[in-house]
Amino acid sequence: MRTPLILTGVALLAALPLLVSAGLLNASIQMLIAALFACAYSLLAGRAGMLSFGHAAYFGVGAFATVHAMNALGGSGLLPTPLMPLVGAVAGLGFGLVAGWFATKRSGTVFAMITLAIAELLHALAPQLKGWFGGESGVSSMRMPAWGFDFGSTTQVYYLSLAWVLISLAALYFHSRTPLGRLTLALRENPHRLRFLGYDMHGLGVSAFALSAMFSGIAGALQVISNESANYAVFDAGVSASVVLNCFIGGVGSFLGPALGAALMTFFGYSVSDRTQVWLLYQGMLFVLVMMYMPDGLTGLVRATASMVRRHGFARVLPLALLWVAAAALVAAGVVFGVEMLQRLFSQDYRALARLTASPPPIALFGRNWATSALSTWLVPAGLLAAGGLLGWGAARRFGALSPASVTDDEKDASSRESTPVLGLSEQVRA
Amino acid sequence: MDWIAFSLLNGIIYGLLLFMVSAGLTLIFGMMGVLNFAHASFYMLGAYFAYTLQGSVGFVPAIVGATLLAGLVGAGVERWFLRRVHRYGHAHELLLTFGLSFVIAELIKLFFGNYPVDYRIPRSLDVAAFVLGQQQYPAYRLLMGAVALAMFAAIYLLLTRTRVGIVVRSAIYKPRMVEALGHNVQLVFMGVFGVGAALAGLAGAIAGAFYTTSPNMALEVGVMVFVVVVVGGLGSLGGAMLASLLIGVLTSVAVGIDRSAADVLAFVGARDWAESVGGLLTLKLSSLAATLPFALMLLILLLRPSGLMGDKD
Repeated sequence: MRTPLILTGVALLAALPLLVSAGLLNASIQMLIAALFACAYSLLAGRAGMLSFGHAAYFGVGAFATVHAMNALGGSGLLPTPLMPLVGAVAGLGFGLVAGWFATKRSGTVFAMITLAIAELLHALAPQLKGWFGGESGVSSMRMPAWGFDFGSTTQVYYLSLAWVLISLAALYFHSRTPLGRLTLALRENPHRLRFLGYDMHGLGVSAFALSAMFSGIAGALQVISNESANYAVFDAGVSASVVLNCFIGGVGSFLGPALGAALMTFFGYSVSDRTQVWLLYQGMLFVLVMMYMPDGLTGLVRATASMVRRHGFARVLPLALLWVAAAALVAAGVVFGVEMLQRLFSQDYRALARLTASPPPIALFGRNWATSALSTWLVPAGLLAAGGLLGWGAARRFGALSPASVTDDEKDASSRESTPVLGLSEQVRA
Repeated sequence: MDWIAFSLLNGIIYGLLLFMVSAGLTLIFGMMGVLNFAHASFYMLGAYFAYTLQGSVGFVPAIVGATLLAGLVGAGVERWFLRRVHRYGHAHELLLTFGLSFVIAELIKLFFGNYPVDYRIPRSLDVAAFVLGQQQYPAYRLLMGAVALAMFAAIYLLLTRTRVGIVVRSAIYKPRMVEALGHNVQLVFMGVFGVGAALAGLAGAIAGAFYTTSPNMALEVGVMVFVVVVVGGLGSLGGAMLASLLIGVLTSVAVGIDRSAADVLAFVGARDWAESVGGLLTLKLSSLAATLPFALMLLILLLRPSGLMGDKD
């Protein structure tokens, strides 16, 4: 049942350059790269249960290794442009081995702090080492023609990225099927038992870390090939943060969850970037909501809905789902309205303008002018939020009335599934 | 050799400041097993609250107000956010606080803009404490150090000499038993979280006026505080103190040293070789100062993985 779905997805991705504009195709390349990065991260954070908050380091090392290799080799010799991501992979793997050896000496919370510190170490060091990281302007390079392609058009770069992302995802999936992948899972589930069975815990941890770093390096290399340059900004804490956010918004419980989450978030970031300046705030809010109300992420939500449909039938779930969607849409509209109003109200331009005029000027938003001091303006987001809250409350009541016994069952299922990714960590932290 | 005395003093005071932030973090971690990623965000909130209040109520009341507000926000985070996800385990709590720190930073950018704000110490406090050689030493730095020391003494006395302290300490080790004895452990947790946040807020309100108050300050201090707790040993107040001072002194002394590894290698006649290699070997120690704490952390992990004063892993 899943194979046709995957084949359709791949076919759709392959046909994408025929369907969308060049600008959107560029965004698609970024989505593919973000998806691969998130999947690589999820190998460590999801499968091995080790939360890294500094994955930008491996992405960045892969990127810089590739840009230097592109400059040094000029697309000739053994490594033509299409094979360049191998350099990123090797660099990521090497650096991942070293960093992982340090980081996996501790588990749980300390591990998280060490990864953050390693990334910050690089971030602090990179601007100083101008020879390697090129200072403010970064290092730039050119995509050289190879194998009959000139890599001049976005379409060719897209296919190159697509090929590498698909191969990497396949390799990551294959890893989850090997004994090593099963042991990685065991590392998260029950580290003590694994140790009693005689496995090398540190070695296993390093292997998961290094593999994750390797695929992050490939993602970094693809980024360089697409941008033809690398800047030390890739080591920024924001890059590390976004991969964590993407990954968990998508849901680490399933293999493709992080990829879907990353693609979705990158797409939204691209499509709203010229309309709002506070996209990161929305992303952070979404992440906090996901963490609090649906710890399995968006894919977990889809799965829960599917199981409800199976259990109660489509006809009974549909009105409930519609009610939830309506409530979510209203709340989202209220929040967006409020945040955008505040953003404009507190922006530097507006304050300067307000200082010049006697009464505060109105704010243009969604094609209308809103008076900032009028109560009616602020009643709009408040009303939207209240209506959304009311609908959500009604939906929750209907959800409870659907069939109480099965709901509790569902919740039990859900909570046992949800707690699995964190079992290992909770024990290690206390240990 | 004045600069050595100055660097040492600066370093000690910066270390005491780091300690003010890391003390709350260590306390919260020891109690709930939660690494509060948003802890440095309370430091930033403290600075911004004080900046906002300063105009209307004056400097000292603004600092007191900012401390209380940061504490309230902290208690709210525990009550309405952390408690909800407690049943999903520590990883979720860590991720949630990570998300919250992200949201707080973005909110600060929304309200105050993505640039440093003009939060300064009042002129009446901007005086020299003493003169050493040619340079004056600002009294405000000494004040910062004094506040940190007073806070350390207060926490220590509160934890070891009072009834509240006994309940808190026992709630760290045996929460269920304390609950069975009729204490409201949830309230204790919320209180400790709030106090920890308030301490971070106090540190931010005081330090923000001296250093810069910008949306980046949470990350900068947060990372340094994480290094402090790893080096000192997670959950140990004494370790946090020792590591804070060590890192404070290390960074501030290193900033003043204008030498590179090539200069050292010159003693064995290898300067030319070092200069031909370039890279790290020719970088001045002063420009590497920001990276030294991380290097120290890796060294500690190598030699003593549980931290200077931490328990066995």
